[in-house]
Amino acid sequence: MVSTAAGATSSGAGLEGEEGESIWGEDDASIAETTDVELLKRAWRNEKAAPEILLFEAGLVQRAREQIQLLEETVEDFVENGTDDLIVSLYQMDLDRSLFLLRSYLRVRLQKIEKYMFHISRTDLWNRLSEQEKKFSKRCVNAMEKHLEQSVLSRLPYGYQSILKQSISSEEDDMVPEPKLDTFVFCKSKGAVGAFQLDDVGDEIVDLVSDDLYVLRYKSIKGLVEGGRIDLV
Amino acid sequence: MAGQSDPHLPMFTAPEVEFLAEDEIVEIIPNVRMGALHMICGDFGPFLPQIAVKVPLWLAVAMKKRGKCAIRPPGWLSVDNLTQVLEAERESPREFQALPFHYVEISRLLFDHARDDIPDIYMVRSLIEDIKGVRFHKVETGLETISGRTHAVKLKNLSAMEVNIVRPFLVRTLQAFYKHDSPQIVQPQGSLNSKRPQAADRGPRRDLRPR
Amino acid sequence: MANYYNIDDILMEEEPITSIFQVRANGVGLLDPGSESNCVEAGAKVDLPLWLAHELHLRQAVAIGVPPCFSQRTRKEVQADAACVDLRSRCPYFYELGCKIFPLVGDKSIGPFLLYTFTSRYKEILSKSHSAPVSTSPKYLPRLTQEETQLFKAAQWSIASFRKWRVGGSRLEKASILGRKRKPAAAQLPPAG
Repeated sequence: MVSTAAGATSSGAGLEGEEGESIWGEDDASIAETTDVELLKRAWRNEKAAPEILLFEAGLVQRAREQIQLLEETVEDFVENGTDDLIVSLYQMDLDRSLFLLRSYLRVRLQKIEKYMFHISRTDLWNRLSEQEKKFSKRCVNAMEKHLEQSVLSRLPYGYQSILKQSISSEEDDMVPEPKLDTFVFCKSKGAVGAFQLDDVGDEIVDLVSDDLYVLRYKSIKGLVEGGRIDLV
Repeated sequence: MAGQSDPHLPMFTAPEVEFLAEDEIVEIIPNVRMGALHMICGDFGPFLPQIAVKVPLWLAVAMKKRGKCAIRPPGWLSVDNLTQVLEAERESPREFQALPFHYVEISRLLFDHARDDIPDIYMVRSLIEDIKGVRFHKVETGLETISGRTHAVKLKNLSAMEVNIVRPFLVRTLQAFYKHDSPQIVQPQGSLNSKRPQAADRGPRRDLRPR
Repeated sequence: MANYYNIDDILMEEEPITSIFQVRANGVGLLDPGSESNCVEAGAKVDLPLWLAHELHLRQAVAIGVPPCFSQRTRKEVQADAACVDLRSRCPYFYELGCKIFPLVGDKSIGPFLLYTFTSRYKEILSKSHSAPVSTSPKYLPRLTQEETQLFKAAQWSIASFRKWRVGGSRLEKASILGRKRKPAAAQLPPAG
């Protein structure tokens, strides 16, 4: 019933040619991978697809910012010295694309922070935020606390006034929304990861082949994503 | 348990997938002279009339729109190759043929903006449509075979846009089966569904394809 | 608990559950419409929302009956033609309720029944959501439970947005909102960089 690795060793006619082409494609990709835009794109994709917040790419964001600023100045110079319309507009598009990636990356992270602020501020995830994000998160938590305090909590009887616990008898913080780590994600491994254990229980093993596409539970590949060995798509 | 209504955190929209595809490299034949472009996303050019040069698709489309170049359609986007791919897609119901990860987006962008550069465009376009159709049908028949807890689905050669289309459904399906087919819930044997080959379903991996 | 603010979880806990009081309960006559005094007699059958029934069950104050949506009759109907059964009218939170209630009523066959039901209905959802024109859904959709509806809509939504993208215009124009307006004049080419 469980067919394994269909297609991995198929011998269809014309497959050789296809593979030849895809190898070329990979070459292009690996050259491009070195640009910060490629790295930012990867960070953006992973951040969008991962249920929890990932480590802030501080260096990368810094470099992207600098490049964007530099190009903005260049484009301004172009405009001032009357550079050809076509060239200016092409640079402007390059700029817009980089800006979009950067903004979207930062924005996805802010959305996650807003959604899971209490969880993030009480766990190791806190260390994954940038300084500005920490500031944002603190202000979010403060605003939310103040709001709940004023509108509801202060009017509740003693023992029911916590934001984190339903009542004083709750053993854990049972009112804190957490990301669902057992959700399924689409991923592609960059190199062969090899046999990989999928579940805590241990008898579910998958052989992650390079560049193949898998749908797995995020929880099981969390470590690979954090270690940069696998990309979410 | 009932946490299904939580609309997944923002995933990729079709335009976002297209955005990613626009960084794929294509060849153009410029008809203008222009110095090299040193961009954030890389260095391209110099551009000389009639000399082929590699650029990202977005740049190619932008120049094409201004009439500054012709786009050389990628090798796979030809009647010959696509006919072969379509045939192979039809002959092998269990696997997807190797096509560029962004073939859906690239072909649409070229059909929209560089139709005069693609020989036999009508034929090419209808081949792409057919291939998409056959592949999507395969995805569906593959989805039909899911009938129990599945830890991993392998989707060799599924393309970016195809991933994006099945994602919401597939993720929910896998989650639902994961929940309903959990050992705590379905442990007791006998009763209604004893005909279902449960143990066999607990394989380490399932290919999203018909058997 | 990640589900605390989940609206579906909250609504599911509102489902009425037939409960039989094991003890006489004073001061809660309003729970039992048939009661003439302000108390519920031991042995009285009362419909309580799941959250309340659950709590009282933990304190052994009530016994919980198997909800009708998991009765033998429903099971027979599902076995006959799973896709046709109108589960929503029986319980919009059919699966979630089943998961929650089977340990309470001690009926272990509910788990496999849920899986059987979902597996049988899943195929229909798959084919209807991917192929059927939107016009057929008004008839089909009202039969689905909440979870099934979400599955169905997820498929329809992603196909619809793909189609929209395919026929839609260029996305590139959106970028001009982000970018700044420029009115450069033509000139010689710069040593770009």
